[in-house]
Amino acid sequence: MGETASLLVEVFFHTIGFWWVIIPTIFLGLIVGGIPGFSAANTIIILMPLTLAMDVETGIVFMVTLYCAARMGAGIPAILVNIPGTAGAAATPLDGYPMAKAGKGQQALSISFVASCIGGLLTTLIALATMPLLARVGFYMHSVEMIVVMLFGISLIASIAAQDMVKGLIAGFLGLMIGSIGTDVVYATPRGTMGFLELYDGVPLIPALVGLFAVSEAFLIIEKRVIISEDAEPKSPNWHDTFEGVQIALSRWWHIVWTSLIGLVIGVIPGAGASIASFVAYQQSRTYSKTPEKYGTGHPEGLIAPESANNGVTSGTLVPLLVLGIPGGATAAIMLVVMQFHGVGFGPSLFQRQPEVGYGMFMAMAVAYLFMFFTILPLSRYMSHVTTVPTIYLAPLIISFTLVGGFVPREYMFDMYLALAFGVLGYIARRTGYHVAAILIGVILGPLLERYFLLALKKSGGDITVLFSSTLGNILWIALAISLLLPVWFERRRKRQATEVPAE
Amino acid sequence: MKRQLGGELVIPILAIVFTLYYFSTIWNSPWTAQVSAFMVGGILLLVCGIFILRCIVWLGRGEGSLGVGNLFSMDDIRTGRIGLLATTVGFCFLIEPLGFTLATFLFLFASMVILAKGRRVPFILVLSALIAFAGWAVFIWAFDTRFPKGWFEVTMKALLSNG
Repeated sequence: MGETASLLVEVFFHTIGFWWVIIPTIFLGLIVGGIPGFSAANTIIILMPLTLAMDVETGIVFMVTLYCAARMGAGIPAILVNIPGTAGAAATPLDGYPMAKAGKGQQALSISFVASCIGGLLTTLIALATMPLLARVGFYMHSVEMIVVMLFGISLIASIAAQDMVKGLIAGFLGLMIGSIGTDVVYATPRGTMGFLELYDGVPLIPALVGLFAVSEAFLIIEKRVIISEDAEPKSPNWHDTFEGVQIALSRWWHIVWTSLIGLVIGVIPGAGASIASFVAYQQSRTYSKTPEKYGTGHPEGLIAPESANNGVTSGTLVPLLVLGIPGGATAAIMLVVMQFHGVGFGPSLFQRQPEVGYGMFMAMAVAYLFMFFTILPLSRYMSHVTTVPTIYLAPLIISFTLVGGFVPREYMFDMYLALAFGVLGYIARRTGYHVAAILIGVILGPLLERYFLLALKKSGGDITVLFSSTLGNILWIALAISLLLPVWFERRRKRQATEVPAE
Repeated sequence: MKRQLGGELVIPILAIVFTLYYFSTIWNSPWTAQVSAFMVGGILLLVCGIFILRCIVWLGRGEGSLGVGNLFSMDDIRTGRIGLLATTVGFCFLIEPLGFTLATFLFLFASMVILAKGRRVPFILVLSALIAFAGWAVFIWAFDTRFPKGWFEVTMKALLSNG
């Protein structure tokens, strides 16, 4: 134990010595994370020759920092212009954007940065301490349990639908239907592809994200001179708003802790990822809130939950990679390839053979979050001014760079047309009172839900009762039922109390 | 003003048409291709049906009309939205033959001039050129991102490789 502790301290100080890699990589990560299509995974692939030429430690620090910074960067445009940089930040604008529109962009960015840094740092340390235990989570999560976890995410549709239940459900289930486009996983039968070969692999996420959020938003914001509400007080960059945001986030420290833990646990499950974690965290945060009616109107807790959860995922993803050699996501898979090139063998023996590499990855993450806290926070003063740029310049800029971002992942021109089609759908949805986030949740979770559902049915020979056949699954079913029923119960109690209190 | 139900019905009608089309593509497929889609599609048809029934009730009570004022209005022309849509469609089609930089420059210039109603043209010209050039420098030159390449990118590559 003492040996490990001294090794950890040694690795920590050694990692700080890589500040010259960490700081520029943080800014690179913020840029690539903020532009849809330019994920950390794509950037590591583009810069693969550079990464392979670095020594193993520099390569680790570079990749891990880029991963963390990109995750945080995705939240910046989500808050300021309602455009999530990645699907993992799709729940961030639900409360972040209303804050920015109300002239509280600087506070919202500070809240997001603090939640991301503390959530990321905390889960990194917890992952480091409980690695062997966490690594087993993946073994217990089979198709049935995964279905319930997906349903936790999908139940957010119901929360979003609270204002108009039928419209919310139409948006959510239309998204699930669109997410089902593509060949079926067993016999590769094309379904709903309209004859387009490009849709055989399913609907690509980035064009859907770009269209539903960025393009449709760009067509809407031109109605106003600037994004920020006309009645919101125009402010010059000031430290007061930044520290107010920090204070708001720190006063909700417990919220950061438990929502980031949701991210950590979901991150450990291979294939789950940040989008599910952020939706689940948002939904759970709303369920157990004393003020659920404030969610969606610019409530700090609605911003903290998805941001701390999606940064909790970053450390969770590394656990199965390091302990089992199973990458938990696309970025982890690329890291695995790069590290194997350097002769690093992942798996249980890594911590005996090369402990400095195993612990080094987590330490790099912890140090990256520490550096990020101090380098990004001052920037919130200036970033928030995006909301005051005239929309006649901002809207074309958003359209051109995000549409091209839709092209990047697969390099099909078709994906740009698809993003435009989603833009039209998103525009109609926004103008007529349907929630684009509900459509996106469906598109993201639809294919995953179908895959696990089919796996469960195949295993049981078509017996639907398999969904209630495991102990852990049943516990999760009960938790899901409670989280759906609790808000209804709270609402009824609130109404009853309101009627019991005589009007003054 | 009455509730514009015509606009609100666009998404449910699109959803119904798409779901029925989807069902037609899986009708003779193995059960593995059908089970999830029939479940999700069935619920979608049900909620769309409920919404249409609700609209019929509102129409009967005179609380709504089949207007589409919430979707299309004179504001679309006044704000330049129709023009922006036209330039966006043009951008998608021109980016392949012209390449990223040139298509982005033309799109930014045309869109900004339309949205600014023809004011500040010299400023917009310089701004569009700077943004398009910065985009080329960051994404194509620095990161070698595989954006669609055209005359400008090929020329710049030749210039840079010849020192």
